[in-house]
Amino acid sequence: MARQPSFNPVKQWKNFHESYEQVIAGEYDLFMPRHSAGLTIEDMKETTRQFQTLIADARKQGLKARAIGSAWSLSRAPTTTGWALNTNRLRGRMKIDPADLDAGHTGTADEKQGLYLFQCGNTVADVNKVIESKDQGRSLFTSGAANGQTIAGATSCGTHGSALRHGALHDHIVAVHLIANGDNHFWIERKSEPVMKAAWVKQLGATLKRDDDDLFNAAVVSFGSFGIIQAVVIQTVPRYLLETKPGIEKLDEKLWKAIGALDFKAHPFFGGLEPYFFQAVINPATDEVLLNANYQRADDGREPEYGLTQDPKAIGPGFDGLSTVGIILGAFKGLIPAFSQLAVKQLFDTAKKTGTSGQIYGYKPPLLHVASGSIAVALPDARKTLEALIQLYKDIGPVPLVLGCRYVKKSPALLAFNTYPRTLAISIDGVDSKSSRAFFAAAADRLEALGIGFTQHWGKVNAMTKARVLKAYGGNVAKWLKARKELLPDDKDRAVFDNAYIEERGLAG
Amino acid sequence: MQYLVQPTEPSLAGSPQTVHVKSYLGSEVQQPPYVLAQRCQDGEQLARVLVKRDFLQGLVSWISLGLIAPATVVYTCANAGDPPLGNSSGSGGRE
Repeated sequence: MARQPSFNPVKQWKNFHESYEQVIAGEYDLFMPRHSAGLTIEDMKETTRQFQTLIADARKQGLKARAIGSAWSLSRAPTTTGWALNTNRLRGRMKIDPADLDAGHTGTADEKQGLYLFQCGNTVADVNKVIESKDQGRSLFTSGAANGQTIAGATSCGTHGSALRHGALHDHIVAVHLIANGDNHFWIERKSEPVMKAAWVKQLGATLKRDDDDLFNAAVVSFGSFGIIQAVVIQTVPRYLLETKPGIEKLDEKLWKAIGALDFKAHPFFGGLEPYFFQAVINPATDEVLLNANYQRADDGREPEYGLTQDPKAIGPGFDGLSTVGIILGAFKGLIPAFSQLAVKQLFDTAKKTGTSGQIYGYKPPLLHVASGSIAVALPDARKTLEALIQLYKDIGPVPLVLGCRYVKKSPALLAFNTYPRTLAISIDGVDSKSSRAFFAAAADRLEALGIGFTQHWGKVNAMTKARVLKAYGGNVAKWLKARKELLPDDKDRAVFDNAYIEERGLAG
Repeated sequence: MQYLVQPTEPSLAGSPQTVHVKSYLGSEVQQPPYVLAQRCQDGEQLARVLVKRDFLQGLVSWISLGLIAPATVVYTCANAGDPPLGNSSGSGGRE
């Protein structure tokens, strides 16, 4: 008999970075039915049964429940007051056999060979290790800066990366296996992009939903509100390497053309070449910008090695070093500019290297009490927005934060963070402190006052409200709510997955 | 004071578990005698161990000249290796 979920009667739950706590009714650990063998449909059916039993029990007891993966979110998106269903042991993975693809699948021969199913507990690191192996020779086309999030958590909250010609991490997904309640589980695909044969879905016991694109585009970025995502199917690309080119440059008119309009011909740093990945970290305390321009290179066919290495004699911030730093900087604001210069080099990788995507955006030293929020605007608003945020920094005094500029193409997901044709995602990163939190709140107010349209990263600190969600996403909000009701028609089922985070944003009920 | 121990490629299983410990007489006597990582099951090992002492715990240790030294141990289990890659056609064991 498969290992059954194990209850842990803990009442306090913290996110990975320990930036907040949540009172819960307890935690369930779920286990893979067979860890030593390759994932099968029977394994997925067993895990589905276990999730359905827990969801039904939660509903019966009037409790809420949500899946908890790596607990990576800095926002309260994944929180529940009921049972936290810990999924980070559910790391089954399977290659999709082209013979199992629906006749309507429109992909090329290469695309048909590049599909993988990952259970929700696989981290981004796990995904990279599987697909980038010499045997598989595939890559993600984009990745966030970190790799500790689960694939379900990272994609549900809109993790994006900065690959200039691609969308966000959730834009890899072509099918979602969603467990809605004690009776129903769904295999959701886009109508315009059928993937698996109906017979395969039937074998899984799931109800196939691919009658319209909106349902898929709602479920793929839904931060746990539609139920438990047991697995996703992702489309990968042939493996490539990235060669990083880091550098520090002055923020002058030539650099503004790159940062504000993605014109890479004006500044000599780029040698006239558009990078595959581009990030500019503006330190508002100085006129310096840390640049990362990563160029795509041909695969070398080697087996990638991963891992975090560290000079045993190095000095750096401890696991909770930023807590103390936050207190000190709160008391002595004059130290912030000097700290920010130091922190940029600690928080962002400045080493020149070549590797696979999974190696470049790999393991990072773990740090508690980081502060991070992201605001996305349309590229034409880039310079105006950045200048407004730099001015805000000057207005409210030095704050231990820097502005990381990343770029991503539009996603079809209804509530995607990357909702503009070319999106500038400004990642406001630094130390969690009173002044940082004040900056996050004031940043949204300032952009609103200037009439700049924006979205905010669902998985990071954000100041989204019902009004702001409606303004940012317009008619997509109603479509998203309709899709939620289609999958969870009974309000008691929806209530299981409601939390304060979605209530405050007008997305509950 | 706190110090974190973890491998180069941590694969965390479950949530961090907190155990409050005390050592007496310069660690000659401990309560509990050792921290049992009882949430690590089915072959799971440890992914992370964090030993920390907050200000109050440090003060007790300092005042008692180390005769009583409370601390907090936070451990997180590690996934027991990487499961092999299955196949949608159902072979279930392709590696």
